[in-house]
Amino acid sequence: MATRTAFRPLVRAARPQLQSAQVHRCFTSTSQRAESPSQSTNHERTTHFGFETVAEAEKEARVAGVFSNVAASYDTMNDFMSLGIHRLWKDHFVRSINPGSSSTSPSPGWTMLDIAGGTGDIAFRLLDHCTNINNSPQSTITISDINPSMLSEGKKRSLATSYANSPRINWLVANAENLETIESDSIDLYTVAFGIRNFTNKEKALREAYRVLKPGGVFACLEFSGVTNPLFDAVYKRWSFGAIPLIGQLVAGDRASYQYLVESIEKFPKQEEFRDMIKEAGFVVPGKGWEDLTGGIAAIHKGIKPAGTP
Amino acid sequence: MAAPSTILRRLRPISARGNLLARTYHSYDHPPPPGPFSTTESTILSASLPHIPSHGFTLTSLSLGAKDAGYIDASTNLFPQGPFALVHYHLLTQRLGLAQKKEVLEADEGIGAKVKKLTWERLMGNKEIVHRWQEALALMAQPSNVPTSLKELAAQSDEIWFLSGDISVDTSWYTKRASLSTIYAATELFMTTDKSPDYIDTREFLDRRFKDVQFVGGVVGSVSQWVGFTASAGLNVLRSKGVRV
Repeated sequence: MATRTAFRPLVRAARPQLQSAQVHRCFTSTSQRAESPSQSTNHERTTHFGFETVAEAEKEARVAGVFSNVAASYDTMNDFMSLGIHRLWKDHFVRSINPGSSSTSPSPGWTMLDIAGGTGDIAFRLLDHCTNINNSPQSTITISDINPSMLSEGKKRSLATSYANSPRINWLVANAENLETIESDSIDLYTVAFGIRNFTNKEKALREAYRVLKPGGVFACLEFSGVTNPLFDAVYKRWSFGAIPLIGQLVAGDRASYQYLVESIEKFPKQEEFRDMIKEAGFVVPGKGWEDLTGGIAAIHKGIKPAGTP
Repeated sequence: MAAPSTILRRLRPISARGNLLARTYHSYDHPPPPGPFSTTESTILSASLPHIPSHGFTLTSLSLGAKDAGYIDASTNLFPQGPFALVHYHLLTQRLGLAQKKEVLEADEGIGAKVKKLTWERLMGNKEIVHRWQEALALMAQPSNVPTSLKELAAQSDEIWFLSGDISVDTSWYTKRASLSTIYAATELFMTTDKSPDYIDTREFLDRRFKDVQFVGGVVGSVSQWVGFTASAGLNVLRSKGVRV
């Protein structure tokens, strides 16, 4: 709490940018966006959109707007913002899960579901690990994203990999809070990397993850989190509120979307709180429940769906 | 506001923070603290133990155990430290099992004899998996696992001395545990290459190590006696010369 007080001036400094950002955001307006005002009058429930408070019904459309804008420059921007470290995080995330591993050889294969995995960068890594490390070419993945433009970006990229038009990949446009086309108890591994932050109702999404996972199945989440060292946190806050929106403006020509990005990171529950949300949904967490990456800038959270007595 | 509580948490001894080895003393009046493994983890790990003789301390044993317990291959994600969880679980269960060796503990013998017998009982706990034990030693020697391994070794020596009825509260508390840890670790390593029937060679090796410690202890005692005698004699010589000491 002491650290949060210390950084209030910083957050305040970011506010004026936010005012202008609201004006800018109008150009993200799509047909979905146009409907939203009428929806918001019907719904009293509100949620966070960065530092703004918006109606729940509106958030989905606005997040959609953000990601439609950034889809094409997604990887370039990630490289600039994280200085290339996001690739190491994603590699470590996949290695730590060890997908496709099995006690029998050849492996019967895992059924995986990558939520908010539009551009496929986690999914291709998961499949690579299954095939090359664990000799499990039977493993399949469903890449799901709420945003069709992120998904089509992923499809385009898949053509450059060995998984071009592969039956191992299944593309699905769906809301993670409601995966009705996926059967209960059918998934070995549910991953969500840098996605759950943008969900309107995170609890509902966690319950849905619990439903689709097999007993013993793994929920694995890679997400921004809280930096534990106050000194490093000061530097990191400077970088994220000062540099990232600027890089967004220069590289992607879109300051508003990246302003939203850093605000949503700030708003996302920190390690302990998110761990407790995972437990709340019924999962058993390994060890303390998370693993910090780069001093807590990001964290890997895992949960295992408990199985009844055999 | 939160700062004082954070500082207090920092100042609190390490043992009070985690639930790993949460208590540094033995108690007859309080139930044992929860171990480092949750119920789900223990279920999978205990189901994995029978697979160790054929598959070793590996992810395969862990996967097979998970399947036996009604879980799936993916559930091995419950163990971030991987196969080392199997080693740790083996060490833990064997250590806690020592308290059940009634025939040794209730025998009418001295502390020293009980320590020797308990150490032997513990070594025999490795009998089923001794051909795989070198894998476990390799895992225990990995830098990230060393602290846990050393803690388990120390806790085991403490357990053996405590169960044997040792109540020393002087420096010998430390030397006893340190020397037992050394003996145990050496003998355990010797046992991995022992092919003799019923581990006779290991038994003799263990006896020799205990004799060594007794011999060294005797030498230390004699030397300190000699130093004491020479010092007081020297003092008396000085006094006889009229020095006021």
